[in-house]
Amino acid sequence: MLEWLTRGRTRVCTLLAIALAAGVATGADLRSGTFKPARAAPEISLRASDGNDLKLTRYRGKVVALGFGYTSCPDVCPSTLFDLAQARAKLGAAGKDLQVVYVTVDPERDNAQRLKAYLAGFDPTFIGATGTPEQLAAARKAYGIVISRENVPGSASAYWVHHSSFVYLIDGAGNIRALLPFGVTVDDIVHDVKALLEPCTQC
Amino acid sequence: MLSSGLRVPAIAILLSICAPAHSADATIRVEGAWARRAVMLKGSEATAGTGNGAVYVALVNTGRKADALLAVTSDAATAVEIHETYQEGGMSKMRPVSRLELRPGTSVELKPGGHHIMLLNLTRDLKPGEAIQLTLDFEDAGKIPVTAQIR
Repeated sequence: MLEWLTRGRTRVCTLLAIALAAGVATGADLRSGTFKPARAAPEISLRASDGNDLKLTRYRGKVVALGFGYTSCPDVCPSTLFDLAQARAKLGAAGKDLQVVYVTVDPERDNAQRLKAYLAGFDPTFIGATGTPEQLAAARKAYGIVISRENVPGSASAYWVHHSSFVYLIDGAGNIRALLPFGVTVDDIVHDVKALLEPCTQC
Repeated sequence: MLSSGLRVPAIAILLSICAPAHSADATIRVEGAWARRAVMLKGSEATAGTGNGAVYVALVNTGRKADALLAVTSDAATAVEIHETYQEGGMSKMRPVSRLELRPGTSVELKPGGHHIMLLNLTRDLKPGEAIQLTLDFEDAGKIPVTAQIR
């Protein structure tokens, strides 16, 4: 399944379509796109914005919201991170069991320190991740994330990095359970994280 | 000879008559402007900039002729551009918008994941509860000052 997942852009779109359709067709207990059966989240090996090595196994027992973006992104990334921060706040005491991990798609401009400052603007518990171009490419490949760096004529920005904007929800056992498309509501994020924090009955 | 009490209102009336035509029949209504919170990123600004922000707003053309948003300025950033986010091939992409058309009797909502005003290289933190000032420059309605609340 994972090989299938990593075979490129069309596969990603197909995967998205299947995940979203499955969520709707089965009236699943998650509101976002679901993965049934759940499959193990590929491990990633990166450098965390708190100075440690970043491995997803570090967060077993928590729900991980895994997204990709960059600090110079003005619209989609801040909207996503703001909504995740709102969701974490709305979860109340359970918020401590939601860990947001945000992997840069722009290592040239985003170092660990910059990621940390950027993410702290949303929620100081959010962890950023960067690494060598090879490490980051491997992480993107494992999660079907596509990027394209483009110079934009007429913009004061040096370049932009177009990128996949969905966010994975990984449960406390390390399984990919849901895919949040951009624009999902804060209430739906809260609902799905709560569902994943319940004792696992059917996975 | 006019008394000084009359002179001031007379000047005011003259000024209002002589003001540029576009301010007299401006037909653009600007509603609900807000900016997303953002922090200035220091330490690597020479190569990576101080971070960016976004402003969202609804623009209503209540008039009978077409207008267009051409440019925006603000002292909260070193450059301000109008952009559009769109989805293509599973990616979120952005493109610059040189003029944002406002057909008569219609409104355009700038919102997350769509059109937005991009603040490039912030000159200050955008803190929730505070506000920033912008000037929106329309082809026909001219310059309209706008206050955007930071959320």
